[in-house]
Amino acid sequence: MTAKISLRGVGKQFVVRPSRDQTHAAVLDALRDIDLDIAAGELLTLLGPSGSGKTTLLDLLGGLSTPSSGQVLLDGSPTTGPGLDRGIVFQQYALFPWRTALANVTFGLEQQNLSRAARDLRAREYLELVGLAGFEDRYPHELSGGMKQRVAIARSLAYEPDVLLMDEPFAALDAQTREQLQDELLRIWRTTGATVVFITHSIEEAVYLGQRVAVLTSRPGRIKEVVDIDLPGREGGTDLRSDPAFVAYRHRLWQLLHEEIARARDAGHRRIQPDGTEGAA
Amino acid sequence: MSSILTDPTTRPPRSAEPAPGRPEAAAPEAVAAQRRSLVHRVERSARAGVWRSAAVVLFLLLWEIGPQTLITPDTRVFLPPLHVTLGAWVDLVRDGTLQTHLQASLTRSVLGFGIAVVGGITVGLVVSWYATVQSFLTPLLELFRNTAALALLPVFTLLLGIGEVSKVSIVAYAAFFPVLLNTIAGVRTVDPMLIRAARSLGLSQLRVFQKVVLPSAVPTIFTGVRMAGTASILVLIAAEMVGAKAGLGYLIVNSQSSFQIPQMYAGILTVSLLGLAVNLGLVRLERHFSRWRPDATGR
Ligand SMILES: Nc1ncnc2c1ncn2[C@@H]1O[C@H](COP(=O)(O)OP(=O)(O)O)[C@@H](O)[C@H]1O
Ligand SMILES: [Mg+2]
Repeated sequence: MTAKISLRGVGKQFVVRPSRDQTHAAVLDALRDIDLDIAAGELLTLLGPSGSGKTTLLDLLGGLSTPSSGQVLLDGSPTTGPGLDRGIVFQQYALFPWRTALANVTFGLEQQNLSRAARDLRAREYLELVGLAGFEDRYPHELSGGMKQRVAIARSLAYEPDVLLMDEPFAALDAQTREQLQDELLRIWRTTGATVVFITHSIEEAVYLGQRVAVLTSRPGRIKEVVDIDLPGREGGTDLRSDPAFVAYRHRLWQLLHEEIARARDAGHRRIQPDGTEGAA
Repeated sequence: MSSILTDPTTRPPRSAEPAPGRPEAAAPEAVAAQRRSLVHRVERSARAGVWRSAAVVLFLLLWEIGPQTLITPDTRVFLPPLHVTLGAWVDLVRDGTLQTHLQASLTRSVLGFGIAVVGGITVGLVVSWYATVQSFLTPLLELFRNTAALALLPVFTLLLGIGEVSKVSIVAYAAFFPVLLNTIAGVRTVDPMLIRAARSLGLSQLRVFQKVVLPSAVPTIFTGVRMAGTASILVLIAAEMVGAKAGLGYLIVNSQSSFQIPQMYAGILTVSLLGLAVNLGLVRLERHFSRWRPDATGR
């Protein structure tokens, strides 16, 4: 079986403006030597400390930027820019504020050859899938954070991409809404059969959602380890998060992440807290 | 403000889900409550209306009584009381003079304003599409914008005479810059996140501009349009005062020089009412186009 997504020796460098004490522009190594295969229909979570290049990697997958070295393969062929075969969900929702929920969802569909009626019908279906039937005519500023992110998910799902790329989509939500949306995401993933790459800095979220968790090192980001997660089904309504197996995975990933956070600290980076946020040094 | 907070009946019912109630059972009380809240609302808006118009009414009263009691008869000639001015106004309407002048002014300002809006938005979009053109032109545009349009009035008169072309041109010139600069600002302040989102869907540059940049700039552009409306009337009246054979500005100066003081005040009154109406209309329009903005105050 060929992988849906293959990263082959992918590296990404940025040229950064010189700061006051530097004379010329410096090169920042954001990602280095990333090798990773993601199978079709898989849900992979990508866990890494803040600044480890997670968003950079997602941009590469989404075709929003090109790698400095190596290749990003989609179904075996190199990606050429963004496309409707991949959908991105951003942390800050990125909804179009002048469009209603329904019109936001139809945005991607307008790129396809669909009649207006067909677009609206499809958008309604997907709003219903994310639990927002009845909110079609609301503007984004009339929706809560969780509802906005649901609209954003519906927008990305509506044109039925093979791959869903999600960049810390639930990080800005309160704990209850986050857990609710995590379960919804799992349900949607099972319904649609899409390949999902889910970026997070939360260990718990990575374990709960992922079939595999890829851990990134601190900058420059490399794949430190890929951990297979083998947990009983999430549907049971049981408290999976306190299951001994869950706790064991959690601890294992905590150790991996902490090595990186400690390394970053020793390397004189900004101090990074265990939850991935940056605190004062 | 505090009355809104303390009065539960005036709080707008805006919950996400409609409350599952039994309307039949609650009907009598609901109707009563509704009636009570209606009376309340009418009363409240009436009180607010009285308060909001109080200053204007006081001013008009002062205008009526002041000249008759506070000043000497020989200055009173230059400041006739309100009823004399209104009388002159009615006379002007009766013989159709006012309509003629109003129409002349309206034609010029609508023409100039229209040219400015179309031109300002077009040039603004082109300029902001090409970043290099923008950085090249911005200093020059700043220079022009900060040169009061009226300072250039003699130049327009020299080059284009005192005819219609000259008047329409100066109005168009004055109204052009607010539209242009607001269009550029609106395009520049589009949320980069939204551009990323649109690009991730594979939209071309032009499509991103059309479907993301443009709609997000619309409220800012309309703020410019409103400013342009105010500017166009202001400049037009001044231009008509300097050299014209018709128009409200001409009416005002001409009345003054032929010593028809009440008629002059009637002209001034018309100008301020026209300005008010234009501004009100444009504020409405601006609000309409900024509906989706939660913080849209229409100002
Ligand atoms: N466009 C850019 N120009 C320069 N540096 C960048 C750019 N984008 C990201 N970086 C840098 O690359 C590193 C990784 O960033 P990012 O991918 O956003 O990390 P994460 O999403 O894991 O927090 C950071 O040090 C960031 O400052
Ligand atoms: Mg990030």
